[in-house]
Amino acid sequence: MIKIYEKLIVSSSPHIRSNESVQSIMLDVLIALFPAALMAVLLFGYRALITMVLAVGTAMIVEALWLRKRDVFSDGSAAVTGLLLAMTLPAAAPWWLTVVGSASAIIIGKQVFGGIGYNIFNPALVGRAILVVSWGGHMAGDIWPSPQPFAFGADVSAVTGATVLSVPEKAVMLSLPEMFIGNMAGCLGETSGLALLIGGIWLVYKGHIDLRIPVGFIGTIFLLGLVLGGGFYGNHLMTGLFHVLAGGVMLGAIYMATDLVTTPVTPNGRLIFGIGCGLITMAVRFWGTYPEGVTYAILIMNAFTPIIDNFTIPQRFGEVNESA
Amino acid sequence: MKESNVYVQDLSRGIIKENPVFRLLLGMCPVLGVTAFLINGLGMGLAATAVLIASNVVVASLKNFIPAQVRIPIFIVIIATFVTIIEMVLQAFQPALYDALGVFVPLIVVNCMILGRAEAFASKKPILRSLLDGIGVGIGFTLALGILSLVREVFGQGTILGPEPESSIHLFGEAFEPMGLFAQPPGAFIALGLLLAINNIIFKKYNL
Amino acid sequence: MAKAKFAGGIHPEYMKESTSSLDIVQMPPPQKVVIPMQQHIGAPCELVTEVKKIEKGAEVKVGQKIGDHEGFVSSPIHSSVSGTVTDIGLYNHPMGTKVTAVTIESDGRDEWDENIKPQGDLNDLSAEEIRKIAREAGIVGLGGATFPAHVKLSPPSDKPIDVVIINGAECEPYLTADHRVMLEKSEEIVYGLKAMIKALGAEKGIIGVEDNKPDALQSMEELVSEEENITVCPLNTKYPQGAEKMLIYAATGRKVPPGALPLEVGVVNHNVGTSVALSEAIREGKPLIERVLTVTGAAVNKPSNLKVRIGTLASDVIDFSGGLNESLHKLIMGGPMMGLAQPGADVPIIKGTSGILALTADDAYLIESSPCIRCSKCVSACPVQLLPTSIAQASEHGDYKRAEKLYALDCFECGCCSYVCPSKIPLVQWIRIGKAEIMNRKRK
Repeated sequence: MIKIYEKLIVSSSPHIRSNESVQSIMLDVLIALFPAALMAVLLFGYRALITMVLAVGTAMIVEALWLRKRDVFSDGSAAVTGLLLAMTLPAAAPWWLTVVGSASAIIIGKQVFGGIGYNIFNPALVGRAILVVSWGGHMAGDIWPSPQPFAFGADVSAVTGATVLSVPEKAVMLSLPEMFIGNMAGCLGETSGLALLIGGIWLVYKGHIDLRIPVGFIGTIFLLGLVLGGGFYGNHLMTGLFHVLAGGVMLGAIYMATDLVTTPVTPNGRLIFGIGCGLITMAVRFWGTYPEGVTYAILIMNAFTPIIDNFTIPQRFGEVNESA
Repeated sequence: MKESNVYVQDLSRGIIKENPVFRLLLGMCPVLGVTAFLINGLGMGLAATAVLIASNVVVASLKNFIPAQVRIPIFIVIIATFVTIIEMVLQAFQPALYDALGVFVPLIVVNCMILGRAEAFASKKPILRSLLDGIGVGIGFTLALGILSLVREVFGQGTILGPEPESSIHLFGEAFEPMGLFAQPPGAFIALGLLLAINNIIFKKYNL
Repeated sequence: MAKAKFAGGIHPEYMKESTSSLDIVQMPPPQKVVIPMQQHIGAPCELVTEVKKIEKGAEVKVGQKIGDHEGFVSSPIHSSVSGTVTDIGLYNHPMGTKVTAVTIESDGRDEWDENIKPQGDLNDLSAEEIRKIAREAGIVGLGGATFPAHVKLSPPSDKPIDVVIINGAECEPYLTADHRVMLEKSEEIVYGLKAMIKALGAEKGIIGVEDNKPDALQSMEELVSEEENITVCPLNTKYPQGAEKMLIYAATGRKVPPGALPLEVGVVNHNVGTSVALSEAIREGKPLIERVLTVTGAAVNKPSNLKVRIGTLASDVIDFSGGLNESLHKLIMGGPMMGLAQPGADVPIIKGTSGILALTADDAYLIESSPCIRCSKCVSACPVQLLPTSIAQASEHGDYKRAEKLYALDCFECGCCSYVCPSKIPLVQWIRIGKAEIMNRKRK
């Protein structure tokens, strides 16, 4: 009888924990990205598959080397970073671009800050920003392959052009439903709003992302597009929708701006974060030199995260607003 | 401590132990501004070294005549004099380098590394020791700029000894697409940060 | 009544099935009881002269007062067996400390003190008399907080109380003692509630029961259908529904301001067990010498709901419920969310012990925590809308000023944040450290 009590664990309450872990959350994010990844392969063929495998593989290996760990998958955050980076690359990206981008995402974007939980900026977007700054010729301009649905073996890099955002007024040749499904030029993962939305619903269902960020982000884009978009596409409503579906808004709003580590933790802070992302994105689209601003919008807002958190400490239960 | 040891220390301190860039983070403005090419970095380093040595010697020899209350303006005047001389020399004999360094040459006047040595060392120590200190710190500064600009040029341009076509050597062949990030200002920050990290690792390992 | 919902909270696995249908079993008085002099919030009791004088060897009877304190916020302590005092000294306490305790060897006769007699009809008792009965019977909050009941029944005159809430939420997983009390002692609960209403001059009573106990809800509802000022309020099944402020919000829609007591919004609440104890104290004159608790967990051979004398050693209670099996890894006094892990079973049952929980390696293990990934699941789970991760971080870095600015003192340590944390950070532990340090500095 005495023997039983020898190995008792004495620890602070609570004594039961939920089954959720960092790894399970990252697995859920990977599952959520699956529809978009599948869509990328359907639209852009084997080049898309190679890019994604390379990015994920490099990210996991670089992180394992950096941390001197055998467990390559580990908590899964490197795989998520790698896949998210791949989603932002053009289908025609050369192999070394993917590898360098993925490695710098992990090293400069994440590990130099102290690894998971400590990075200030979204690692995948840091990787992308480094690539855009370093090799603009591969990352922007008339380099976007047109999708060739269901032609897995086709080398899509043969025919390239600009994205719809470069010349929005000419984009009317694309119908909005077509854009929603993803049949347009662009990064691997950004084209299909439908696939991204399916993954987003899964993440919301699992409780991993807060609707405030994507709603604030997409809502701001839609409203600004509606008011300032110039009303091509026949009417203002359609222009607003165009701005939501074009470029990386859906990908950014659902997967990048909701990155757990680099976004505010307070409910109001998240709404502010989302709206801020939307404002900066549209500012870049309307008045900037780049056709698209989602990357920089999110990175800039990442830098504001601590201050947003500090100013949006929520009201406690039962607290009454006293106007002093 | 033997007398000669003091001189050796004065000379070596600024190179490694109190390297102005990697240890003290002084004079960051030219460090980030002109290190896109190795030649520019070294040129900047040498120009600053020359000013530093000269100002150290002059400050040390005048230290008994400088009233404490107005010492900083006087240091600045001394430094500015030598900067003007260096600027004219560069303009006369190295016009290409002069153009590349641009505004960073006159800015040596307010380089806190030089002012710092004048204030912390030369104004209190004998002339010979101040001379050795100026040489040591200057070497340390030039070394740091050299390393940083080498990294930035190799990754950012794929060359060394650029940008003049006759002297530049392509390291990886013409097909290499350099990582433009390192050629740009943000890249300077990132490269410097990474070098500082490596530097810290080394210092920790050898307990310097 | 409509079910009001508080924001936050969690839905752990309730694990109540193994004991929720078992009748309360009266455990016979044990050979030996150890009765600590501190079983309540407030001033610890001093030994009454009679026991003190004779010290070891004093003869006591069941229900005889052995400890008391003249302070208002305190509650007397009674012997729970008849027999001889064999030792007075420091003994293990469930809180993890050692406190002065009286060890009494039972003579097996279970003779009751002759002063114990019914206190008369409720209609004839004045509010003051009811408070006195509650105090003399040593009644404290049996939900776990052990706040002296008579203090709660004596609100300051400028704070009128209009609602008394009986807490039958029992939101802690595993525990079923309150559930069984509501089924088997429902009449006493209502009687006790009436006494409380009378003592406070309140207008109505509400009995709040989580809707995962439909049988208890039904039995209470049947009983109060005749009463015009007592209602039964079904509550959402969500932890921590039984927490004072959450319960009051759910039952009345009133929000207790931060740092304030429920009487600030005209509410007093008591646990179902407290209500039963008050009823017994009035109708039988019986002081609080026993309580109902749940012995459960995968390492217990025969899970049960027991009525146990205060001061019975946990090891005796465990033996009575069939002992433990070898897979035991953690022994907890109380529920899994807020209970206290014990280093052994040589610790007495006190008035606030709502259960003994024996967990196996499946549930009890030391978890290594990883860095916070700022998922903010703790923020969503916090029923008081704090930022647990930020408070814990400030506390971890020794920045107690910031912890206080983030309202660390409003945390009531329900454990929701630690429960949901995917990085398995012991958030509550860090917050507790922060709270203790903030209080320390305030005292200086």
